[in-house]
Amino acid sequence: MLEAIDLKKTYGDYQALKGLNLRVNGGDIYCLLGANGAGKTTTINLFLNFVTPTSGVARVNGIDVNADPLQTKRYLAYIPEQVMLYGNLTGMENLEYFARLGGHDEYSADDYRGFLRRVGLQEDAAGRRVKTYSKGMRQKVGVAIALAKQARALLLDEPTSGLDPKASNEFSELLVQLKSEGAAILMATHDLFRAKETGTRIGIMRGGQLVQELSTDEVSHADLERIYLEHMH
Amino acid sequence: MYRLIISHETRSLARTGALWAILALLVFAIGFAAFAGGRAITRQAKGAADAVAFENGERAKMRQDTEAYAAEVAASGGTYEFATVNHVPGRGPPQGTNAGVVGAETAAYVVLPPTGLAALSIGQSDVQLNYLPASMGTTLDMIKNLETENPVNLQTGPFDIAFVVIFLLPIFILAMTYDLLSSEKERGTLAMILAHPVSLRELMASKIVARAAVILAVVVGFGLLALLSVGTQLDQAETWVRFALWIIATLLYSLFWFSLAVLVNVYGRSSATNGTILAGIWLILVVVVPTLVSLLATTLYPAPSRMDLIVAAREAQTAGEKNMGSALDRFYSEHMDQVPTGDQRAMDFLTLAQANAANIEKALLPLYEQFREQSLHQEGLVQRFQYLSPAIMMQLALNEISGTSTARYQDFLDQAFRFRSQWNDFFASRFLKREPLRPADYDQFPSFSYVPESLTTVLGRLATSLAGLLLVCAGVTLLPFVGLRRYQVAAR
Repeated sequence: MLEAIDLKKTYGDYQALKGLNLRVNGGDIYCLLGANGAGKTTTINLFLNFVTPTSGVARVNGIDVNADPLQTKRYLAYIPEQVMLYGNLTGMENLEYFARLGGHDEYSADDYRGFLRRVGLQEDAAGRRVKTYSKGMRQKVGVAIALAKQARALLLDEPTSGLDPKASNEFSELLVQLKSEGAAILMATHDLFRAKETGTRIGIMRGGQLVQELSTDEVSHADLERIYLEHMH
Repeated sequence: MYRLIISHETRSLARTGALWAILALLVFAIGFAAFAGGRAITRQAKGAADAVAFENGERAKMRQDTEAYAAEVAASGGTYEFATVNHVPGRGPPQGTNAGVVGAETAAYVVLPPTGLAALSIGQSDVQLNYLPASMGTTLDMIKNLETENPVNLQTGPFDIAFVVIFLLPIFILAMTYDLLSSEKERGTLAMILAHPVSLRELMASKIVARAAVILAVVVGFGLLALLSVGTQLDQAETWVRFALWIIATLLYSLFWFSLAVLVNVYGRSSATNGTILAGIWLILVVVVPTLVSLLATTLYPAPSRMDLIVAAREAQTAGEKNMGSALDRFYSEHMDQVPTGDQRAMDFLTLAQANAANIEKALLPLYEQFREQSLHQEGLVQRFQYLSPAIMMQLALNEISGTSTARYQDFLDQAFRFRSQWNDFFASRFLKREPLRPADYDQFPSFSYVPESLTTVLGRLATSLAGLLLVCAGVTLLPFVGLRRYQVAAR
């Protein structure tokens, strides 16, 4: 469960986030829409404690991120626009390293292979060095890390941008699976179509503020695009 | 967590081709330095042994002559006499009976034995002769081959292991660490890692430990190998104490460079900028500052030039000659070997020469004192300014540990000068009294045995450099761990 209460972040005179209130429950895929610079990435970085809030609180699983960042990171998985891994290690080795960093020492090699199979990585790729991987393959390893970490909350920052439609679709299916297992997912995206298809709720941001929230089952694709564009003007 | 990251870092490093190239270079440098150091020490030892053997051989020959002469005298029932300076070989008493000849024409070499670690830091020992001839005459004769005008303290010196540690090791360390955080940030893996329950501090410390382990294993391991292959006195506890100190100093010095890399990384600039900054700092601390300090020392306290010594010696000699009376006397005093056989004046001339030498020695005393003072001033200045650069502290520490420090050499010189006057007195008193040397007297000749400095004296001198290194290290190590709090993981 992710929660932002009156979260603010300013850089000098520039207000990147102007008092955000947000709640993502388990079983939700919350899609943050908005132009570049609207504050989507800042929001995610605040949940990761990569930046410290100017005021307000970000909570993961009820714990204040700023007060106990290491504890909250046990529940979090982070999938950035580019999942970056260690190129000179194999997919398996990367997965194992990150899983163990997350505190999970209990898995066997078969378990890791299982995670990679579940996210749809080709069998022969698991033992290859990651520098030979495509972006789609790396994003899949990112999801496998989230699986291995048994993350209660996922933070995704435009994870599908630049993926081909098939890879993007496979990725979205994985998210739906994780949602059905009870994870709280917060995803920043520009893809209105995917947001409507896979998201449960949508928040539109502009100039560091959440200007509208809606449920995906309330709107059609066309409505969503119209509402979004209205806010952008 | 630390163990996990360290083993991950080690595995990543092991799969980096560049690291193997760096290590290969480091190993090669250490191997070559050990070889060069060992060769220098062997050469010095051989030079000393050859010189000692030659002079001993000369005296042994003289002794044989006196023994033959003693037997002859005993057989014929004559008196055992003192040889004149100019004698016909094979007739009359041999030269070996003349204390002035034995004391002035043969020399006793005083030898400074190397410590067990001498090969690790040759220091100035290639210009500070480790063996000096002690004979009658003046101290000038003894030290005339010493390189007195050498910019004493901080010369780069030869390619020895100390050079590798002081100059090259920082480069290897910086090559492995200049992009410690910046590369992970640029690659994007930093964000991936820090999304896990790992603090930046843990990550940083683990990365350092992994790299430090690799470098230090190589330095200590190969340093030990080098010591075993070229070291001496391995059976003495002191050698191992010195080796332990050598490792401690190397650890501190390495830690400084690791910490410096961390400090620069904490400011979150790009890898290229970090590399440039660190290279600049290396240049300043390892090359520029030591050169400036050395320059300052030799400018503020220039050693009197060798020319000054020689001119002063000439003046004293000229003054002495004025007292010598007639031109003939002066001529004979310069061409002692041409004084007619049996001419008693020959002995007077030898006496005069001895007196003359004493005069010159007296005239030169203030100059020797000046040398000593200037050298002490230079040394003191370097000691005071060493805190400006870890490289200077390290050089001083390694010289001290390896027994090639200026202080140890000065102590040796003092012992050598004392021995020379002892040698001089022994022969001069017998010669002036015209006491012939008998074979048995040959066993009474003064002999030099070097009195090593106590380990506490060495440790006392070492303490300042090591404490300085420790302080600088502590400062540079703590700073980044404070600064890490402000580190920006994400760009705004």
